[in-house]
Amino acid sequence: MNWINRFIDRTGSRVALFALALGVPALALPASADAPMNAFYRGQTIAFSHVSSAPGGTAIGVDDPGFQSLLRSTGALLTWKSGERYILITTSVPTVVSFALGDRRYDVGPISLTASFAPFERGNEAYLPLNEVLHALDLAPRQDGAVMVLQPQLASLDVRQQSNRVILLARAGAPLHPRVVEQNVSAVTYAFDGVGTTLSGSRQIGAGGVSTVQIENTGAVRNPTTLVTIGLQPGTIVEAPQNNGERDVVLAFRGNAPPPQTVGEVSPTPEPAPPSENGSTAGSSSASGPALVSAVTVQPSAGGVTVAIAVTSNAVYEWHRLRDPDNRFWVDIKDAQLQGPAIDTATSTSLSTGAPSPLVSVRARQDDPTTVRIALSLVGPKSIGVTPSATGLLLEIGEDDVANAPRSGSGSIGTVLSETEPNPVPVTPAPLDNSSSEFGSTNETGWKFGPRSHYLATNPRLIVIDPGHGGSDTGAERGGLKEADITLDMARRLRDILIARGWQVKLTRNSDVDVYAANDSARDELQARVNLANNTGARLFVSIHANAYINSGPYGTTCYISKPDDVAFARIVEAHLAADGTKDDGIVKSHLYVTLHTRMPAVLVETAFLSNPGDYALLASSAWRQKVVQEIADGIGQYAREYPVSDQPAQ
Amino acid sequence: MRPAILVVLLAIVAAGTWYYHLQRTTSNGETMAVYYAKLDGNSLGDLRVSLRPRQPDESVAEHRHNTVLYAAVEAVAGPPNDIKAIRFPPGTRVRSVDIDGSTATIDLSKEVEQQAGGSFGENGEFKALVYTVTGIRGINAVQVTVDGARLETLPGGHLELDQPLHRSDW
Repeated sequence: MNWINRFIDRTGSRVALFALALGVPALALPASADAPMNAFYRGQTIAFSHVSSAPGGTAIGVDDPGFQSLLRSTGALLTWKSGERYILITTSVPTVVSFALGDRRYDVGPISLTASFAPFERGNEAYLPLNEVLHALDLAPRQDGAVMVLQPQLASLDVRQQSNRVILLARAGAPLHPRVVEQNVSAVTYAFDGVGTTLSGSRQIGAGGVSTVQIENTGAVRNPTTLVTIGLQPGTIVEAPQNNGERDVVLAFRGNAPPPQTVGEVSPTPEPAPPSENGSTAGSSSASGPALVSAVTVQPSAGGVTVAIAVTSNAVYEWHRLRDPDNRFWVDIKDAQLQGPAIDTATSTSLSTGAPSPLVSVRARQDDPTTVRIALSLVGPKSIGVTPSATGLLLEIGEDDVANAPRSGSGSIGTVLSETEPNPVPVTPAPLDNSSSEFGSTNETGWKFGPRSHYLATNPRLIVIDPGHGGSDTGAERGGLKEADITLDMARRLRDILIARGWQVKLTRNSDVDVYAANDSARDELQARVNLANNTGARLFVSIHANAYINSGPYGTTCYISKPDDVAFARIVEAHLAADGTKDDGIVKSHLYVTLHTRMPAVLVETAFLSNPGDYALLASSAWRQKVVQEIADGIGQYAREYPVSDQPAQ
Repeated sequence: MRPAILVVLLAIVAAGTWYYHLQRTTSNGETMAVYYAKLDGNSLGDLRVSLRPRQPDESVAEHRHNTVLYAAVEAVAGPPNDIKAIRFPPGTRVRSVDIDGSTATIDLSKEVEQQAGGSFGENGEFKALVYTVTGIRGINAVQVTVDGARLETLPGGHLELDQPLHRSDW
């Protein structure tokens, strides 16, 4: 998968942005507030009572009922208790936002930011900078008359290319359920109801059948709608939107043209798409080409002026400022190229109010072959907030002078992923496909074991078969099929085959019962199964299970092991199971109780997934269950031949 | 004498360069890997996240505690939804962490018991958690507790949890 654009540009041109900026409503919360305050959020009024004024913003107490209700509504979790320094918020993305008492720095995943004030503790309650928390939750405070509205934002719209398919990944501060409002051969328009955006503008794409993407903010402050219009090339197939999580959705398009070699060749647009960024780390984009600084724009904001630097992909930045009275500030974007000529803009008056601007001029130039420098000249030692945004970097310049402002800092733009999924796992099974090397391989290189046990079976003709679960523990259960029933059926079938081949067999249970006692502890139950094998001196131990997961995606057969003695046995059993009709998920070393504590070579076979429709059909079929145990029996036979003991049964 | 002066000068330059890089590294901050289990049920991917430097009033022991808490919360959160990964049951929280020697005890909320039923989820979740937390210098084992209590396994579970888990368990 190639990254086309990490972010959608904020605007097509600087002129357009200036015009747009005049219409942007006041952004920030009141600079200070001690009184309780109400805010409107998605149809409900939330009362914040644990509110405190702080220098540069409003602080919210973590025990505030309104704040807790807001966190719940946005699917976020807060981790903090009195005595702890760190206050951690897990958003629904999920991303962890890390605050610390007494430290203005806060981290959002890989990005470090500076808050307007440091979180503090008062009366056994931590107080956080509310504006920064709202931003992390993808909510923007908007004024609607006298009412403050916490408006969910379309926070990002990433564009990725996968062969001749383009996917747009949208993320917002509210559930995203796109509605098609208009569709014809040349465009499709989706409405994201309840979501506003500052990402308005349009961008050329030119791949995967998608020519352009245009974003538009409509609707009222309380009931915003963001319209996303995708310009289509003839014959493009529009796939149904799919939610990854509640608040992020994938829009996918498939062009009918052959897959492009590079995006640039297919569509030489005035704004060529930035280079592929698949799996690279921010700041190491040189391997696949530099980020592009495509626009530098100035807009008035509630407390001063905002300089928006549009950067097309992940990049590292470093900023510096000189001491008053030489109030120059610059930020270097590393491994980046300035698109177009150098920029030199004088901003002698504020665009919205006519008041003197704190900013005298903005200049951008290619400082050296790999660095773009954006330099600001200020009228005094103004506060400057440096914040990575969905489109690049925001420099928020306040009107007030600050003493002893930090003189330098650095950070990164974009999500830092060391690895992305190159081949998403198919959600529907391919029952006859055993060829997937990626998922069929056994990653044995990292296995570490203690010493081998040199176990000697006192009863080398005996195999212990353990039907997983049973009695008070049904195991996984889906659509009327219980794991405990399936495993017992398969264990009995395996027993019959092995006995016919001259083995002695013991089942840990031969009916739907607990092995130790009803409602016993897990240890007692599993240890009873282990004891039966260890005490009888069995040659081999096979535990039969059926797998399950919270969604229907995963499928296949997995052999779990824990001890060095298990490896050879599991390899042979796995080889026989490789053609069982579902995917071969290989051998997984884990800390499973029964494989860990049995003394003889053991394997726990998770035969297939009850949670996957294709695997479910297999598990429900007695013919398939018979086939699987036949393969396990063949594996046992081969193992016995290859690793003989003196009196093994003739095979 | 000239070579000696040159050596001294070179040493000063080297020390200066080293100090400069040290300062840069410190100011840029450290990062750590947060591991997640991929849907093949076996292999791990990782994301890098920023680590907050130790504060002047924060002891080394407290900083390690805080870093372990952060790492555990990151591992339980998992990667962004668009990355396919084995995930802890929804609502699972880190209630607290406690460090004793090189073992970190991580207390999870009851939601972790809402497993789907197979070895797949349990194995991937705890492997990612253990790999993430043992990535912190000085930590080599993770004891999992649920609502403050040590468990033998999760209910109906497969993984042995009443002993500390190590990377070598996988």
